[in-house]
Amino acid sequence: MMNFTRRGFVKLTGGVAALGLISAPGISLGADKKRVVVIGGGYGGSIAAKYIRMADPNIQVTLIEQNKDYYSGPLSNWVIAGFRKLDVQKWGYEGLKKHGVEVIIDKVTGIDPAAKNVTTAGGKKVEYDRLIVSPGIGFKALEGYDAEAMTKMPHAWIAGEQTSLLTKQLAEMKDGDPFILVAPADPYRCPPGPYERASLVAHYLKKNKPKSKVIILDPKDKFSKMGLFTGGWKSLYGYDTPNSLIEWVPGASGGKVTRVDAKTMTVYTDMGEYKSSCINVIPANKAGEIAEKAGLTDEKGFCPVNFETFESTKHKDVHVIGDASMATGLPKSGYAANSEAKVCAAAVVALLNGKPVGIPSYVNTCYSMISPEYGISVAGVYKLNAGKIVEVAGGVSAGDAKDFVRKQEALYNESWYQSIMADTFG
Amino acid sequence: MQRKRIHMLVLAGGLLGGWMMAAPLMAADAPAAAPSAADAEKAAKEKAIAEAVAAPPAEGAMLANTCAGCHGTNGVSGGPSMPSIAGMPAPYLKSVMADFKSGKRPSTIMGRIAKGYTEEETSRIADFMSKAKWADVKSHANSVLATKLDDAKAKKGKKHVDAQKCGKCHEDDGLTQDEDTPRMAGQWVDYLLIKMQDLKNQHLTIPQPEKMQKAIDKLSAEELEEIAHFYASKR
Repeated sequence: MMNFTRRGFVKLTGGVAALGLISAPGISLGADKKRVVVIGGGYGGSIAAKYIRMADPNIQVTLIEQNKDYYSGPLSNWVIAGFRKLDVQKWGYEGLKKHGVEVIIDKVTGIDPAAKNVTTAGGKKVEYDRLIVSPGIGFKALEGYDAEAMTKMPHAWIAGEQTSLLTKQLAEMKDGDPFILVAPADPYRCPPGPYERASLVAHYLKKNKPKSKVIILDPKDKFSKMGLFTGGWKSLYGYDTPNSLIEWVPGASGGKVTRVDAKTMTVYTDMGEYKSSCINVIPANKAGEIAEKAGLTDEKGFCPVNFETFESTKHKDVHVIGDASMATGLPKSGYAANSEAKVCAAAVVALLNGKPVGIPSYVNTCYSMISPEYGISVAGVYKLNAGKIVEVAGGVSAGDAKDFVRKQEALYNESWYQSIMADTFG
Repeated sequence: MQRKRIHMLVLAGGLLGGWMMAAPLMAADAPAAAPSAADAEKAAKEKAIAEAVAAPPAEGAMLANTCAGCHGTNGVSGGPSMPSIAGMPAPYLKSVMADFKSGKRPSTIMGRIAKGYTEEETSRIADFMSKAKWADVKSHANSVLATKLDDAKAKKGKKHVDAQKCGKCHEDDGLTQDEDTPRMAGQWVDYLLIKMQDLKNQHLTIPQPEKMQKAIDKLSAEELEEIAHFYASKR
């Protein structure tokens, strides 16, 4: 894992301060009612809130989320490549309210694990018996990548406004300019994501800007689903030929970006520099701002947890799920966040009722697109044994699958999305 | 009209699973050499997997809730290509999962997932899902790829269903099921269509009762589409 420790680095966070304050009607608590507060309403937090209510309607659940609308990261690469509208990536919290979840739109500014409460930018103080933190990601410092650079060289790794920015920049890019994609170091949200993005941008370029190509600048020397991606790139985008629409520069060949300059639209690597009117910079990830602020992170920037309950090893009665947690063995994917949330929810319900925590089970299922009709997947089933999360079965799509299989996986990708969003927000 | 069958074809899921199972065997056949760090790591990994597989199973709800990411909360799917499995008969679900696991039933992804569960775990999932309440599928406004139900096609579908006597097994227009027949009424039209296309796909050999395969062989792609609309429209 890389560590950016140069002078002049600007600390970045993934969030945007909440603008409004919309509060659901408060539910008055009986003396014996237990209260769970969930911070963050994405693939992890929303599921935790809903599944606690489904398992035990006597527990009061309050979800605090800084944005009124949620934009899904999964499938947002389709938007960037111009074959999906951002609108269908947008979800709200009405469904969770129907499950009896109290939803507060506000930004959490502090967690007091001793007093067991959280404070918000809107001036609220909310007490909890157990807290579930699911804040997603923030970014590690990268020289030159400050708040302004973030708008000129969007990361689009937290969906929404950033997705729109990159979509617009790609659409306006001059035919012949390269699309520069700066990939992050491990570990990061959505391991195959940067390569799916490169694939779909190449698909866009092939149709719309045939003189352009994608250049991936990567600190790594290998990546998720690598054989499937490069196989797809060879059959669709001329990979490994002089006319390839995708050029992948691994760390060993100088792919590691050390600084960026948004004024001149230049990125600098160990071995050279790259310029373009369209640069997508995804810096190394860390846990979302509030996790770091609350002292839930370790030196690597993520939150160590107990895999049976997802309770933090740093603070008692505080659980961390999703991309912010360090669930060694599971990828940082939306499906893993969903699965972690369910394990955590069941554990929280058991603990609050003074019952033993049950045996966990985890699954990951993740699709990627190489073109709109070419889908690939990775799946894994995991069990906990001797304190470790062990993948008992799984793997990626067959390397020699026929076209109809790739087409079906492309269809399943969108259906995966509809089902997991229904599970999350329905 | 006999459909050509390719008996020797090994399917995507089966191929991958076979390769994964064969890998340790190949390693065992390798000439004996001083154990390297990589060998030791591999052996430790295999031991960890074997121990985890043998570890006690989680409860039904915990296991079944991991399915919801694709099959929807309590098995009611939100995605047009993913089947709702809520309320399906447990024996049907168990046999489908066993066939996915063995590779007998072709799949894109389910074979890889089914291999992660012991018979006891699969049985717990099937029992949980069989008790979940069926709900006719409903498309969310964000679901832009879902095929809209077409009444005209459904009407034509009804004629084919009668002609082929589908109702002998798929009783009450696909509404009720025997132990080994899936519900189709109120299912996703896209899913039903994909599955019927699979039955005509020469590259796939899907375990089916003989009369089911014969009926499918007689129908054209267009007629199958109409049948999908018919069953999906029944509520």
